[in-house]
Formats: sequence, C-alpha cells, structure tokens
Amino acid sequence: MKRIITLKINGAPVEDAIDDNVLLIDYLRGARHLTGTKQGCDGGECGACTVLVDGRARLSCITLAASCEGREVETIEGQATNGRLSALQRAFHQSLGAQCGFCTPGMIMAADALLRRNPTPDDTQIKAALGGNLCRCTGYVKIIRSVRAAAGMGREAAP
Amino acid sequence: MNVRTAAGRAQPLVDGIEKVTGRARFTGDLETGNCLIGRILRSPVSHGRILRIDTAAAAALDGVVAIVTGADCALTFGVIPIAMNEYPMARDKVRYRGEPLAAVAAVDAATAEAALELIELEIEALPAVYTATEARAPDAEQLHEGKPGNLEREVHHEFGDVKAGFAQADLIHEQVFECAEVNHAQMEPHAALAEYDPERDRLTLHSVSQVPFYVHLTLARCLEMDSARIRVVKPFVGGGFGARTETLNFEIIAALLARAAGGKVMMRLSREENFLTHRGRPDTRVRMKIGLSKSGQITAVSCEAVMAGGAYAGYGLVTILYAGALLQGIYRVGAVKFDGYRVYTNTPPCGAMRGHGTVDVRHAFECVLDRMARDLGLDPFAVRRANLLEAPMFTDNGLMINSYGLGECLDKVEAASDWQARKGRMPLGRGLGMACSHYVSGAAKPVHWTGEPHAVVSMKLDFDGSVTVLTGASDIGQGSSTIVAIAAAEILSIHMDRIRVVSNDSVITPKDNGSYSSRVTFMVGNAAIEAARALREKLINAAAAKLEVAPEDITCEGESFFVEGSTQSALSFHEVAIAALAREGTITVKGTFTTPQKAQGGKHRGGAVGSTMGFSYAAQVVEVAVDAETGQIHVEKVWAALDCGFAINPLAVEGQIEGSVWMGLGQALSEETRYVEGLPAHANFLDYRFPTIVESPDIYVQIVETIDPLGPFGAKEAGEGALSGFPPALVNAVGDAIGLDANFLPLTPDRVLAALIKYQKAARKKEAVT
Amino acid sequence: MSRALPKFRLLRPESVEQALDALRATPGARLCAGGTDLIVNMRRGLVAAETLVDLSGIGDLKTIGMDESGLRIGAGVTLRDLADHAGIALSYRAISQASRAVAGPSHREAATIGGNLCQDTRCLYYNQSHWWRKSTDFCLKYRGDICHVAPRGKRCRAAFCGDLAPALMVYGAQVDIAGPKGIRRIALTDLYREDGTDYLTLGRDEIVIAVIVPPTDAASVYDKIRVRGAIDFPLAGVAVACLTTPDGAKQISIAVTGTNSRPVGIDVPPLQDREDPKAYFAALGKRMQKGVSPQRTTTIAPHYRRLSVAALAMRLARSLI
Repeated sequence: MKRIITLKINGAPVEDAIDDNVLLIDYLRGARHLTGTKQGCDGGECGACTVLVDGRARLSCITLAASCEGREVETIEGQATNGRLSALQRAFHQSLGAQCGFCTPGMIMAADALLRRNPTPDDTQIKAALGGNLCRCTGYVKIIRSVRAAAGMGREAAP
Repeated sequence: MNVRTAAGRAQPLVDGIEKVTGRARFTGDLETGNCLIGRILRSPVSHGRILRIDTAAAAALDGVVAIVTGADCALTFGVIPIAMNEYPMARDKVRYRGEPLAAVAAVDAATAEAALELIELEIEALPAVYTATEARAPDAEQLHEGKPGNLEREVHHEFGDVKAGFAQADLIHEQVFECAEVNHAQMEPHAALAEYDPERDRLTLHSVSQVPFYVHLTLARCLEMDSARIRVVKPFVGGGFGARTETLNFEIIAALLARAAGGKVMMRLSREENFLTHRGRPDTRVRMKIGLSKSGQITAVSCEAVMAGGAYAGYGLVTILYAGALLQGIYRVGAVKFDGYRVYTNTPPCGAMRGHGTVDVRHAFECVLDRMARDLGLDPFAVRRANLLEAPMFTDNGLMINSYGLGECLDKVEAASDWQARKGRMPLGRGLGMACSHYVSGAAKPVHWTGEPHAVVSMKLDFDGSVTVLTGASDIGQGSSTIVAIAAAEILSIHMDRIRVVSNDSVITPKDNGSYSSRVTFMVGNAAIEAARALREKLINAAAAKLEVAPEDITCEGESFFVEGSTQSALSFHEVAIAALAREGTITVKGTFTTPQKAQGGKHRGGAVGSTMGFSYAAQVVEVAVDAETGQIHVEKVWAALDCGFAINPLAVEGQIEGSVWMGLGQALSEETRYVEGLPAHANFLDYRFPTIVESPDIYVQIVETIDPLGPFGAKEAGEGALSGFPPALVNAVGDAIGLDANFLPLTPDRVLAALIKYQKAARKKEAVT
Repeated sequence: MSRALPKFRLLRPESVEQALDALRATPGARLCAGGTDLIVNMRRGLVAAETLVDLSGIGDLKTIGMDESGLRIGAGVTLRDLADHAGIALSYRAISQASRAVAGPSHREAATIGGNLCQDTRCLYYNQSHWWRKSTDFCLKYRGDICHVAPRGKRCRAAFCGDLAPALMVYGAQVDIAGPKGIRRIALTDLYREDGTDYLTLGRDEIVIAVIVPPTDAASVYDKIRVRGAIDFPLAGVAVACLTTPDGAKQISIAVTGTNSRPVGIDVPPLQDREDPKAYFAALGKRMQKGVSPQRTTTIAPHYRRLSVAALAMRLARSLI
C-alpha cells in the first residue's frame, strides 16, 4: 500500500508516495538519489547508514521511511553549505578521518549529532557518541582527532 | 639532495573531498532505474553431489528475466594459474555451505528472492570435514580428485643445518599455537554491476576489486569472450585488506546474468554473503621451535604450519609459502626448517588477508622468543637486538634486504613506552609486551608472469596546462592515487592542484596487477616517478629552446622554469607547456617499473614467494590491563614504530600503521569466524566482533626512514608490516600482567578465563609439590 | 543487497486506545516502537506480519514522572531520554546505567524502554538469515521442530538479552499493561516466562504502556559482560540494589539478563551487620552460578557466562557495601 509522506530532507520540503515497508535508507538512496548514506551490514550493526532525524542520530537501515512523516531528515549531502565543507567534513578530510570513506558519511553524521549537544567533547565523550559506528581502516585514531579538530573550528569551517 | 616540495609532506587524500561529502560513488551506488537485481542461490549443505537443479518454476515467475546455474559455465577460475579449481557456480559437487549454485536476475529484489525459493535442489549429501585434523584423517572424505589427504600443497624447506643449529643452542623451546580464522570485514559489502550489450557483444563490469586486471582476465576466460570486448572499471572501493585480491564468484555470476538477460544487473551481496565469499586468513596451527644461545642469539628455527584453507585453492599455496619464507628477513635466524600443509576443508575458501601468510607464524615466533628471553633472564628488547641483520644482504632463502630499520624501531618504542623504567614494575593485572614484524613491499614476481614491466603509469599534458596521471593501481582507501599524484608533483615541481589522477578503467588506464602484497607504492610509485621524469625532460627541453640555453642550465622550481641567476626571464609552467606542445601536440609519456632479477628470490621451489624489493620493519609495545575474574582484556596504549623507508605521505603512513596495528588488535582480542556444521556462526557484525571505537586504544606512531635504495624516494611499504606484531605483543603483555602464556588467538574472555583457571590450578599443584 | 522487507501495512495510532483498536481489528498485527529489534528481525525474515502498529506517534507514552510516590516511565520513552534524565541517574542509578549500556548511541535514540522490555529472545540458531535457518531445517523458535541448542528438550532456549529488565527488577518495578479490559498492573518479573518462544505473558491484544518504580533509598548498579565496549548484547548483565536496614543489615537484590529465556531474579539473603563479608560473597557467587542457566545460544561458551555473571555480581555487590 502506498502512502504520501511529507518531510524535510536537508532543509528542503519533500513529498513522495512510498510503500509502507520502505526503509529510510532505501528511500533516500532510491527515490531521492542520496547515495551518500551507506549500507554496511544486514541491519543495525555498523552505523554506516547513520542520518539525523530531527537532529538526532538514527540508523536509516532499520527506520521505516513512513515513520519520518513530518520530520526533518539530514544526510551527508546536507553537510556542506553552497559547496563549502562543514567543519566536520573539513576535519575528516584534512586529518585523514576517512581512508576508504565507506563509514565516513555515517561517522560524520553521528559526530554532528554529538557536536550539536556538546560542542566541546573530550575523547571519552567522542568515543561514547561514536560507539555504534564501525570503521575498518583507521583504528579510529584519526577519527577521534578529526572530531576534536572540528570541535575547535566552530560550525562553519574556514577553508 | 634537493629540498622536497611534495614528497614527505603530510597531505590529505586527493579523493578525500568526495569521501567526506558523500559524492564518492561506490559500486553499490551505481544502480540506475533500468537495472535488474541479481541474487544468488547458495548451497544448504557442506558437501554433496548435485543431482538436480530445476529452475523451471523460478523462470516462470513474473519479473524474472534470467537464471544461470553451474551448467552455464564449465570453466574454472582461480588466482593461481596452476591451481584454478573453482567454478563460479558449483557443478557436479558442492564443497561448502554457501557455495553458489544458481543465480537470478529479476526486476526487483523481492522478485529475485522469491525466485530463489522456487528453485528445486536435489543434492546427495557427502560426509564433510571442517577442520584440518578431520580433513587429514586417513578415512576422511576427499574434496577434490587427485588431492589425497585433502592436501592442497605441502612445503618442506630447509636452509642451513638445522640439527647442528639446535645442538648449539643453550635453550630450546617448542610450542604449539592455535590461531582462529579471521575475515577482512571491509566496510563496503561486495557488489558488482554488469552490463552486457548483445548488439556489440560487449561487457562492462564495475566491481569492488583490488585486482581489476585479474577480474578482466577471468571474465574473458569464464565467459569465453575476447578480452577486447570486456571493460572493467573500479569505482570507489570501501576497503579490501585482501578480500578482493582475486576474482570472486559473484563478479563472474553478475556478468553471466547480464549476458543471459542482455542488459544490466546489479549484484549486491549481504554481509552474510561476504562472510560466505570469505578469502580471509585461514585457521592455522603453528608448531614453533627455536634454539637460543645464552646471550640470546638464535641458532635454529623449526616451524610447522597447518592451515585449514577452505574448499578451494584460491591463494592457498602462496599463503603457505609466505608462512615459511617470512620466517626469514627480519632477524638472523640461524638454520631454518619449515614444513607447511595447506588443507582443504568444507568451509568457505580462505585467501589473502593483510599480512598474507606471515601473521600467525610471526605470532608464534615472537611469543616463543619472548618466553625464552624470560627464561634466560634477558630483556625482550635485548634478545631482538642480539639478532639484528645488517643491510645490504641476502637471506639464506634468497630474500634481498637493502634497508633495515628494525634497530631504530626498537629504540623508538622502547623510549616512548618508558619500557626500561616500567617493565616488570607494574601492579598485578597490568603488563607490557612487545614484538617485531616485517612485510614485503610487493611480490617481486607476480602470479601472472607475462614478462611485462610490473607497473606502468602514463601522464598526459595538454593545452590547458593540466597534468593527468593515468594509473591502473586500485585505490581502495589506502591512498595510492595520492601517492602517484605526489610523485608527479614532486618530480615536475608543480602544485598538487594541477594534477588529476584517473584510475582503474581498462579502456583508459594502463594495466596494473592490482593492490596486493603492498606493491603499489613501491612499484607504481617508481613508475610514476619515471613517467614524471620523462615529462619533465620534455618541458625542460622546451624551456631551454625558448630561453635559448642548454637544457642543463634550466632550473625548474615552483611551477617556474628559469636560468639560475636570471629569474626575470622565468617562464611559467603553462608557458613552457604550450611551448612543449607546439613541438609535438598533446604530450603523453609513460613510466614503468620492473623488479630487478636479484630481488626475485631463491632458486628453490616456491622461492619466488616472499621475495621483494624491500621489507618494512616494525616494533611495538602494548600495555594491557587484565581482569582476572572475568577474563576481559583492556588495551591501554600501543606504541608502534615502522620503517617505511621514506614516508611519501606521512599522514597516510600514520593512518596505515594505526589501521594495521588496530587490525592486529582485532585478531588478537575478539575476531574469529567459526562454523556450526559448516554454517558460519560469525557472519554478521554482532558476532564478528571487530573492535568499536570505545575499546580501541590510543596508538602512538613513530615513523623510521631508512631510505631504501630502490624505493620511490626511498620508500617501502607501510600498510601491512605492523599488523603481525600486535597479537604477540599483546600475548606477551598478558603474560607480563597475569603470568598466563596464552597459546591461542583470539584472546576472547571465555578462552582467557578457561586458560587462567587451568593455569592457576597448575600453579597451585606446583606449589603443593614444592 | 538489503533483503527486501516483506509487504506490510503500517498503522500509526496517536493514542493507546487507537493502538488497542488496531490490534483488535487486525489479528496477527505486531507492535513496533523504535524498530531496533523488530525491523532488524524483519530484515532477516523472522517476522511475518501483515500489519505493524507503530507506537512511536503516541505522545502519552513518552513521559517520565518522578515524585515522592516513585517513578513512572512511559513505555515509549527512548533509552537516550532515559539515560539523560538527571533524577533517574541520581536516584535509580542502575536504570540509568542499563539504558546507556544498550547497543550503540544511535540505537538508543530510537529504542524505547517498552521495546527493550519486550525485546525478542536471541539465539545463535535464530538470529540468522533465512538461508541459514532453512539450511538447518529452522528451529523450535520459528518454523522448525527442534531446538538445536538442546535437541532433547521440549522448549526453546533462546536467551532474553534486554538490559533494562534486571535494572528495573531489583527495584521491584511493575508494568502497566493496557488491554481490551482496561489497564492491569503486574510485577515486571511476571511479564516473563522461561520459554524462549513464548517469553512474554503479554496477550497479543495488550500493550505495555508504562513502568512503575517505587520510591527507594537503595543504591544500585548495572553492568554487563560483553566482548566489546559498545554494540554487543549482554553475554550476561547484572543489576544489584542494596538497601541498608535500620539494624545495619544490607538488603541485597540481584537480577540477571542474558543467561536464561527470561530475566532472572536471584534470591540472596541480607548481609548481616557483623557477618563475614568474605564468606557472604563466596556464597553469593555460588548462588549466582546456580541461579542462572546459560545455554549454547551464543558463540561464547555457556560455562564462561556462568562464571563471569557470578564474578560480576560479587564485584557489583561489593561496590555497594
């Protein structure tokens, strides 16, 4: 059965007809062509699909798109402003927080949720907030460094 | 020496912006509206004879476009030309649970999955063997014809007089280590997009491969197509670690489906299917015997390794050869004997994984050496220092060593960890351990020996003044595209911005063997340098003509060409480029790299494996806290130093060292793939427990630069060498913390607690006796 | 690659009454709150429901009330909000700790306390793909005839792995259950039974709407045995509460998750004022080992889970004395 959902994606209002059983990740990647959000596991185990729903980190691979009715969804594609990187994106780029880049979108979105609550987290708080986001390349060392660096930059990053 | 402007400076990755913005398109992101969805039917049994596969009902399902089975491909594949014994889909026999039997392409995923359920299977079950011991038992069912005892390959090497070596020893230890099978668990699941054009009989495959060239050859073979009709493209790849260093069955299946459907098929595997496709590090039993003199010199080594390799050959014979070959090349080891057995089992095939072949053997070696040092009253650092090599040299098994920074690595981690002040003075439950390791910078002889150069890089300079670097090297996240860009920038004295790297499209970029055995920086880096030099020469000649001086009078610096002492007449890079183009039009140059003959290993059978142009060397210290009541181990901190010859991109080198140390940590603490009657018990990220950020330690990295004479700018590999040192350093630290010498990997809390109870019982018994 | 979710109809009631009506009107409907358990299971083909009743739109279920009469937590309160609640952290520490110990932070943004209490039991032979389970002829818990863990047994041994239940049980928590006949209140421990398939006493037409925790002066703590610092379900989770009585004795209550098909309360006598703590804790450890029955439901050996649950309980209890 199809239903009409109305929501905001990366600030823009959107209306779509979707099936009830569509996952948020498949809706974003399929209908909205936002392929930055990644599927790394068979459901809820790796964090690569993390997006923000009303400013909170959510796993889009185990969230029904229909449950996002009236909500504001943010994905990695919404991080940059007019093509300029966000502080987190710049920090992950410059500090090599991304190696293969597959966990990166989810990692940045989870880190963004943290920085909105706590703009100056310490390493323990960073680790706690990213506990559900797996990375296989970095050993997390430079991910922590990237989040720390982004916190120092403020929200809008100077290039 | 010139002051370097690009090489040696920390740089973000040239493709980093795409990764942080989500613009990086991975294979699974390439699906378009007109794409069919592929799904694979997998064997429900471990071992059996296929009596019947009936696809009629599935084919009749609305929305099903194509079905293929083993009957559609009668040609085997496999990465080693002499050991190709795998079909993309099983024929006659299945040999592991999860082996592909058939595949469906349908209009959507739900239809494809429904169709799989409609395929009727009749398989006569055969007895199955799951461990090397079961497989080697005299009455064991045989997996492959002509392989009695399920022995894929045995290796017996002896260098020097081992008997005499042990006779000289003051202390001999012999111990057995059980190291569990592990998986790469790269974050991006496998995917392939195959598109077949029946009008032109052409096939295009986008895949997650580390070795698009091998995939290309295999597709031509298995689809019986002229390779000129095939195009292979590697988009962004989300990690590999060896999982993708050979052609994988789903790549061929996707192509077969696309041809059968006459269209485009997207095949994305689930995480479980990644674990079924496997190619990870095999379960390995290592018997390690070392002889030491009182002062700590190694007099002889004898090692037996038995690997449960899974159902097909894959890289197996290379893995078992590496295990023996890399006993050498790190220390003076006296006489060396190696007996290796690679065994077939009814489990997913093993393959190459980061630190290919050496990890479990290095683990055993470094653990035994440490325990012997303890018995001799020697410091673990001292016993390593007593056996350092001196470059340049060749080992007894013919390995070439031109640079050797292990001593410096030892010094650095010893000082950084404050080892001498802290070792042996920590409270019960806390401990320090150390170990060393090494790895090759590319195999000196590729598996497909054609006589061609090992690497080719092309560069193009055109009217716009930009430099395009064309490379077949597969960047899978390790930063190889950045390395070739830096090499070009350095040699041409131009900014990184002027360079674009185009990689991995068989119709555009030169062939490359692929990203494995840490070959890319060394081989492709050297080829890039040679190409850039050729371009530089053309530019200098053009500048010299324009300035009416001899080429040797031209200085090229910071995108400017001038005659020393008269900078007023300096020409910009673009001006010189235009002048050079005026002579011949668009400029394309090429650089190559070929490994020197002397690097290609000993003359003995299998002597090419392990041979390389240069080894990286690493030392590390691990600090642990062990909870003796629950068996839980917490790694507090790691200090690692690695000799990479020269750090072309120190930021990426650090990242590679951190990543490899950490991957060693996962194998040491929590990772394993176990099977329940051949069904994977760890085929997801809840049960395949690679570490989260929470328990991952701080890793303090130091880089040692020995400037290898053959390396690009003196560089060697950086991405594998540190891995195999972590597990033994951890086990040695646990020994220091609680006295328990663990002879197993991983040190999961249940294993640790069980071993600890046994150890405490034995200790009490001993106490009661004395 | 993500297996297609089965077709279903999603209902999004805005009140408990509407949700109950939906359950009544569509037999076989399943409740869904945060989805972190149910949707994962659906992706693996473990749930065949034609209708899902999504409780996340019911505002009434999302409130926390705390006063001298105790604590009332709406079933729809997320674990993140529970963990953030300063009053709970202060007065009911184990609940706060347990809510922080679940999975990863992004799960906790969605997961609710009601969902955690009703979370499906888990087993190596159950939490697998359709192909995996079919290859081994399914199991007693779903679509099969035998339990692979205990083939001779008559019942499913899947383990209950929710972190919140033991932390609430040590406070003597109760749950309010809305059903066709109104609201009934039962002790939380009575919500469960020792059967991996049929582990809840909840009727198919009932909804857990709130958790009620009496006021207390007891100190409490929750911790769990796991391999990694995040994501992992508990191999064993232990909650301990300790109340000092006027005569100086320590009244200790302990509850455990991850070892049985239900969360288990362990009966322990009080530690008397003058009692030798060493002997007391040794006895407590033995009692713990006897009180749980871990099975081969995970890749980690049952014997280990028995030993470690005892070690953890002794440690946690000591920390409160």
